[in-house]
Amino acid sequence: MSELLMVIIGGLASGAVYSLVAIGIVVIHKATKTVNFAHGGFVLLGAFAAYLVVVKLQWTYWAAYLIVPVLIGGLATGVELAILRPLRKADLFTVITATIFIGIGLSEIYRLSYNTEILAMPKPIAGAPFFFGDVILTRGQLWVAAGALTAGFVGLLVFSHATIGRSMRAMASNVRGATLCGYSVDRVYAIAWFVGGALAGLAGVFAGPSKGISPDLAVAMITAGFVAAVIGGFDSLRGALLGGLLLGLAETFAAAYVSSAMKSAISFLLLFVVLLWRPDGLFSEAKVRDV
Amino acid sequence: MKIFLPSLCILLLTLAGSALSTYWQYVFTISIGATIVGVALVMLVGYARCITIATGSMLAVGAYASALTVLKLGWSFPLALLTGLFFGAIAGYVLAVPAVRFRSHNLAMVTLVFQEVVIIFLREAKSLTGGAEGLNIPPPVFFGIVIKSDIGNLVMTGIAAAIVIFPLTVLLYGPFGKNLRALAANEIGARAFGISPRKYLIAAFVVSSAAIAFAGALSAPRFRIIDPDSYGVLTSIFTLAYPIIGGMNSIWGGLLGGGALRILPEVLRPLADYIELMFCVLVVLTVMYFPGGLVELVERMSARFRQGKTASSEAALDGAETRDAMVKAMPPAMPREDEVAGAAALRIEGMSKSYGALQAVKNVSIEVAVGRLHGLMGPNGAGKTTLFNMVTGFTQPGAGSVTSFGRSLSEVPVEERVGLGIARTFQHVAVFPSLSCFDNTLIGLGRNGVTASMRRSIASARAGVAAGEEREAVMAALDAVGLKPLALQPAGSLSLGNQRRLEIARAIVSRPRLILLDEPVSGVGADEAAQLRELLLAINRELGVTMFVIEHNIGFLLSLCDRLTVMSYGEIIAEGEPNEVVATQHVRSAYFGDKATA
Amino acid sequence: MSILSVSGLTVAHGQIVAVRDVALEVAPGQCLALLGPNGAGKTASVEAIAGLLPKVSGRVMFNGEDISGMPASTVVCRGLALVPQWRELFANFSVEETLLAATNAARGRPAISLEVIFEYFPRLKERRSQIAGSLSGGEQQMLAIGRALVTNPKMILLDEPSAGLAVGIVKTMIDIIGRIQQSGVAILLVEQNLEVATALAERCVVLTAGRMVWSGTVVDAMKTDEIREAYFA
Repeated sequence: MSELLMVIIGGLASGAVYSLVAIGIVVIHKATKTVNFAHGGFVLLGAFAAYLVVVKLQWTYWAAYLIVPVLIGGLATGVELAILRPLRKADLFTVITATIFIGIGLSEIYRLSYNTEILAMPKPIAGAPFFFGDVILTRGQLWVAAGALTAGFVGLLVFSHATIGRSMRAMASNVRGATLCGYSVDRVYAIAWFVGGALAGLAGVFAGPSKGISPDLAVAMITAGFVAAVIGGFDSLRGALLGGLLLGLAETFAAAYVSSAMKSAISFLLLFVVLLWRPDGLFSEAKVRDV
Repeated sequence: MKIFLPSLCILLLTLAGSALSTYWQYVFTISIGATIVGVALVMLVGYARCITIATGSMLAVGAYASALTVLKLGWSFPLALLTGLFFGAIAGYVLAVPAVRFRSHNLAMVTLVFQEVVIIFLREAKSLTGGAEGLNIPPPVFFGIVIKSDIGNLVMTGIAAAIVIFPLTVLLYGPFGKNLRALAANEIGARAFGISPRKYLIAAFVVSSAAIAFAGALSAPRFRIIDPDSYGVLTSIFTLAYPIIGGMNSIWGGLLGGGALRILPEVLRPLADYIELMFCVLVVLTVMYFPGGLVELVERMSARFRQGKTASSEAALDGAETRDAMVKAMPPAMPREDEVAGAAALRIEGMSKSYGALQAVKNVSIEVAVGRLHGLMGPNGAGKTTLFNMVTGFTQPGAGSVTSFGRSLSEVPVEERVGLGIARTFQHVAVFPSLSCFDNTLIGLGRNGVTASMRRSIASARAGVAAGEEREAVMAALDAVGLKPLALQPAGSLSLGNQRRLEIARAIVSRPRLILLDEPVSGVGADEAAQLRELLLAINRELGVTMFVIEHNIGFLLSLCDRLTVMSYGEIIAEGEPNEVVATQHVRSAYFGDKATA
Repeated sequence: MSILSVSGLTVAHGQIVAVRDVALEVAPGQCLALLGPNGAGKTASVEAIAGLLPKVSGRVMFNGEDISGMPASTVVCRGLALVPQWRELFANFSVEETLLAATNAARGRPAISLEVIFEYFPRLKERRSQIAGSLSGGEQQMLAIGRALVTNPKMILLDEPSAGLAVGIVKTMIDIIGRIQQSGVAILLVEQNLEVATALAERCVVLTAGRMVWSGTVVDAMKTDEIREAYFA
């Protein structure tokens, strides 16, 4: 029983990070119709930036939580301006290819600076783990689970209720209609990429200490983010949040009760099953016909 | 003759390499091995436009399958190579069946799943594959000769590559490759003429995976040890760069991309660390500025030196007699096997379709007699397009049936209709822009099943061009519509009016009994519309083809059709002789509102 | 001085020239009808004026300012709103949220409150929390017009507001549009339905195959055989 609880908390902790990544991917896709395969690269650079802030500059983690999302958000907007805006009229194939290679390019840039050594970061929260009978919960896990989930919820709320979210949702629903409300495509796209990038950067700050920083992180995060987004229905933020948690739980359960190989395989198997059985996702919102 | 060029080129490279130092022989060997992957990816990624992240796993399948047959079964290397090829084909099939249900990013994700699962399997199945430590591979043995030297490897690789690239070339140059490109360019147009997306994409995956696996098997012995990590996601992504940078629309792009990019880390030793980053930058620049890759760059530059013949995109506007003569010269409509004598060319009965609360089409019945020119008109929102889509098989009817010459079309998929003698044109022109007018029309002949197109590819490789009778039929159709001078021009360079003519040529080449035309003069000027009208009249008169036309241009319908049906709000409100129908109160008020018709 | 002055308007999409050299003038507070059969280029013309189409040449002057080439998101902020032929609403947005979204275009200028909109469209007030996708055709059309009104326009481009609507609703629509015009908003009305056009507009311009073939008063248009032929020839 206690083991089960630890597996669940562990799953929620890594799942919450996946949720953040997935939400970022879905925000960008909803608002701009682009699937951002470079997202994993953003997460990696976010983790790297956090490392620089906390280890090299010796600032606090709070500085990292505040600065890194802004930095990576800016980077993402830069990518949108420099590469995706000229490709606005191009076909899907071109855009997907471009983002795939941008993502790998970003992780290559990182690799060239730090090679393949895995960078370690100190724990974000100091202090002894909590003991509840047989259950051991580290502060780090609880922090990531709570923090990343909260950030995810805040992201959802902003998107669905704030004015800035309204512009993105309008653009997502009907581009022409949105322009007739005075929303400029260029501005809204830039905002969407900034938000998506910021979420990726934040995910990186959470992922850095718990998963370690290496070029593999980029691929791991993009696949986990994608699988979570697909499970959630790819156009539902709520689905992305739940999908991430589901994926995290599936992984820890697989690792604990089957084998570590299964842990790697489970995300892919989940993706496969969802794509074939419920291609619209497990948690997607009902589709309303275009008006 | 040009069919042999790629393989010949490989052999020449092999010859050239054998005269150089052992280091260069080694470099040439790797390069030539990569050309196989490049060409295979041109088929899948370039022609079929499928983004695949599974190349690494296919290389692994070939490498491991062949290695295991040598190690565990003691088979000779040639047999091992074939085993690798065989397992690659199977793996390609296993991947393709679920993958081709999707397009673009979901398709890419399914290939990523496959990639990762294969690698995990190879890592975990220790007893079979040696797990993460890998397998030791002995040097290959060809008919008793052990190949250990660099020159030996070079010659073996060169010959094997030339052999395996040849069938790929045949397929890519022939109807199979053209159909793949047509499918990627315009799926709807391709389906209407018998190209099944699912079957073609599966075939593309199977063929390319087999070739990639072969390449993996061929190169494995050189590495001495193969392990799962050499075939990971990064390999898949970097091989994706081969067709993109080399040139996605041409075999030479595959040869160039694979051959050149694979050896960059060797050739540019001091920059080896930065090569991957360079790849990424190059790919992004390529898709942004010259999507046709290096091949396109070369073509653009050589076009500057060749003051090329800029063929005009105006077709000869032939006089009435010439056109009639050309149309008469075509064989007439050909009755198909299971037609019922005396049945209507098209009978629509009780067609209905609702979208939620909106009834788009309400219980519509129309009969088009054989040999008629039957028109359908109605204001916006009348349901004409929905009805047309149900008749052509692109939308599932809510209720009702469609028969043609007595055969029910209800269960007949879109792809099989051209074989039944039913062709169609599209409101938004659905020609294949990168294919020539000739090739566009060739597709109209039908015979576009996967195996049929492969057979035809072999036949056309032998004959040098399309087989004789096919060629004649295509040229006759192009002649009839006045596009013969433009036969070799890419369809995308034609004016809209000419593209509409091309659609008609594509529709008549199979000698159909019935053509369904969707707004055939939309967007076309008055003169051109009149010409198209005369052309359609001639086709109907001389070849006996029945036509069913929707149009907004009422004047066009009045001058073309001998019977007219009017729809409004999903129902038929009038039917009969065109001039009478258009003069009725009912019809006028459907368009104008009641007051205006007083 | 005209509030809208268009000259030499030409719209090409690929090789299709949808609109060739169209010119028109609308005085402040006036209603001009743009008539013509299907495919004549009416929708392309108003979408071009509104800034929704890319390849447009010619000059469009609105309220004294040259807005040629400006994108729709800027044009609407200048006070020229479009109610497009296919409405282009947001399927998942409630009536209220749709109107709120459009207030974005009125920023910096005095706003039109939602209450004013609801006065024009009491049906919408009843359904303010209902999502657009579940409204009837007539209600969606009202919402589309309401969305344009929220932007506090000096002029509205209306593309076939009566299309697909039942006769009773069309009468209500005519009333409402008339009231909007009386409040000082100029209107460019695209219609196939001559009944709606005669009820609302004093003057009209007729297009056929992308070209202007006639302009004058609507009353004269109704009497001319040419117009009938333009539709059916």
